[in-house]
Amino acid sequence: MPHDQHAKGPGFRQSMSGLHTWTGLLLGWVLYAMFLTGTVSFFKDELSQWMRPELPRLTQPLDPAVVAQRVADEIGRIAPNASQWSIKLPDGRSNTVYAFWRTPGVGKGAPGFGQDYFDPITGHRAEARETLGGDFFYRFHFQFYYMSPFWGRLLAGLAAMSMLVAIVAGVITHKKIFTDFFTFRWGKGQRSWLDAHNALSVFGLPFHVMITYTGLVTLMALYVPWGERTAIKTPAERQQLTAELSAFIRADKPGGDKVPLGSIEAMVRQAQQRWGTTDVGRVNSANPGDATARVAVTRGDAGRVSMSPDYLEFDGVTAKLLKVHDHVGAAAETRGVLYALHIGRFSDLETRWLYFIVSFMGTAMVGTGLVMWTVKRRQKLPDPERPFFGFRLVERLNIASIAGLSIAMTAFLWANRLLPNAMADRAFWEIHVFFIVWGLTLLHALLRPAKSAWVEQLWTAAALLALIPVLNAATTQRPLWHSLASGDWVFAGIDLMCVALALLHAVLAIRTARNSARLRPPRSASKRGGIPAMSREAAT
Amino acid sequence: MSHTVAQLLCLVGFSALAFGLRRPQHDILRRSLRRPVVLALRAVGACALLAALAVLVDASGWGFGLVKFSGHTTLAAALVYLALIGYGRRSAMRQ
Repeated sequence: MPHDQHAKGPGFRQSMSGLHTWTGLLLGWVLYAMFLTGTVSFFKDELSQWMRPELPRLTQPLDPAVVAQRVADEIGRIAPNASQWSIKLPDGRSNTVYAFWRTPGVGKGAPGFGQDYFDPITGHRAEARETLGGDFFYRFHFQFYYMSPFWGRLLAGLAAMSMLVAIVAGVITHKKIFTDFFTFRWGKGQRSWLDAHNALSVFGLPFHVMITYTGLVTLMALYVPWGERTAIKTPAERQQLTAELSAFIRADKPGGDKVPLGSIEAMVRQAQQRWGTTDVGRVNSANPGDATARVAVTRGDAGRVSMSPDYLEFDGVTAKLLKVHDHVGAAAETRGVLYALHIGRFSDLETRWLYFIVSFMGTAMVGTGLVMWTVKRRQKLPDPERPFFGFRLVERLNIASIAGLSIAMTAFLWANRLLPNAMADRAFWEIHVFFIVWGLTLLHALLRPAKSAWVEQLWTAAALLALIPVLNAATTQRPLWHSLASGDWVFAGIDLMCVALALLHAVLAIRTARNSARLRPPRSASKRGGIPAMSREAAT
Repeated sequence: MSHTVAQLLCLVGFSALAFGLRRPQHDILRRSLRRPVVLALRAVGACALLAALAVLVDASGWGFGLVKFSGHTTLAAALVYLALIGYGRRSAMRQ
């Protein structure tokens, strides 16, 4: 019988198991970082508020029409020659107005680009520390850093594709998906890790499939450009494609006749009559200050599960409504819905928390999968004290990718509070601190015994997270008790979330340390299978 | 409000479905339930989950409702799972 099996080769399920293992592992560290930073990004606007503590929270909802006029006037003063600008209006989740603008190049020079955050009450530039805030994690999630966005996005796509393959192969491999639905066998080493990995995977399976597939869809034009290249040939066709995908209007060539922009407030008011007072997302302008000016007022994200462009196009001078863009073709709408599902901007607070929790489970799914690779193989090592190079590499990368990333992300928050406000390139130094600390955790994992590295890094993460509220109280005027008393739930929420995550890391550190200690004396104990797997993981 | 009702229905649904499985029956009740009881539990579980979907779709429409339903089912399944683990640990410590 074994001979026959050998002759036939591994069965289909066995092959899928191998595929699941290796597609999960090879880009698993990248996936873990993508999942965790993506999870945090569901609260990126709140995190950005926390990282600009100088800016007061908005206690009253502001009228988007008035705010849009204020900021448009300010951009007109800052960049009078702008050929295009875009203003993202504040919603219930942000206390600033983000805007960017483009200026034409001088002579043969490249076009200029500017961006800033504005105070919605005064319309002036917001006076706050320089930081990328939560946007750093958001951008890192799909294009990483220290590499061109093109290559970063390709790598992210490769990782997402591996994830999709791993999910499908995992479902095929998991024989008893329903009968083992609620199974967890405590203290069974590898079996316990497998049960936890299965539960984290199966409970959130619809979400994991959705988030992975839609992640690929968001950048599909980059990954499979050939269809678009074949079908879209002329500038007119390209313009039509752009109109199906975004609300950035293309104005005619500027005529050169300087004419002041019409009332932005009046244009936004017309949009409000159509969508409601608060459901306005952006105001975009092309050729502002020219007779050919056009303005687009786009609908907000809250009212629909779609990112397809939905906007009103105005004559920028007379504020006359020229066109209503409220539908796109079926293919574009499919893309718009899938895109919206991925980033979840339509969510109310409760749904956002659901996104966060299930995505966090996805992160844990990847993490348990990575740890399980070493747990499974440790049992088969001829000498567990001297594992082979590949095993040691995976083990150390696991420590730095899982525990080390927690430390690095928390260090990013510490840098936000401790770096001098006047420091040159401050926003970039916050990011440099993140990577320097992450690199140091890898160095630490390489130099220390694995069990010590796990425990020390988990404790470090716990301590750094637990001290965030103390750091915040010491360096800002918005300590936790003040936030709680004044109902500032963004600040209170982030402080309390850091404490909750500190507890999680502390529990993991304690369990890892205890199990490691339990492993030492009677060697027969390990044979009973009663040692949770991280102890085995940490046993060298 | 719809979130709370939906989450409670999902918790009821997954609890019923959990007791419809052999392993949780043995871990908690120390015996297997009769086939009609198991079928009834599965029916209750499925109906509770469908009711949760109905509540969410009624409150938010199909688009938002399905997204919320996916989140609530995952959260509820995880909570039932954690409760079963917690119960198992407590029983093990008592013994």
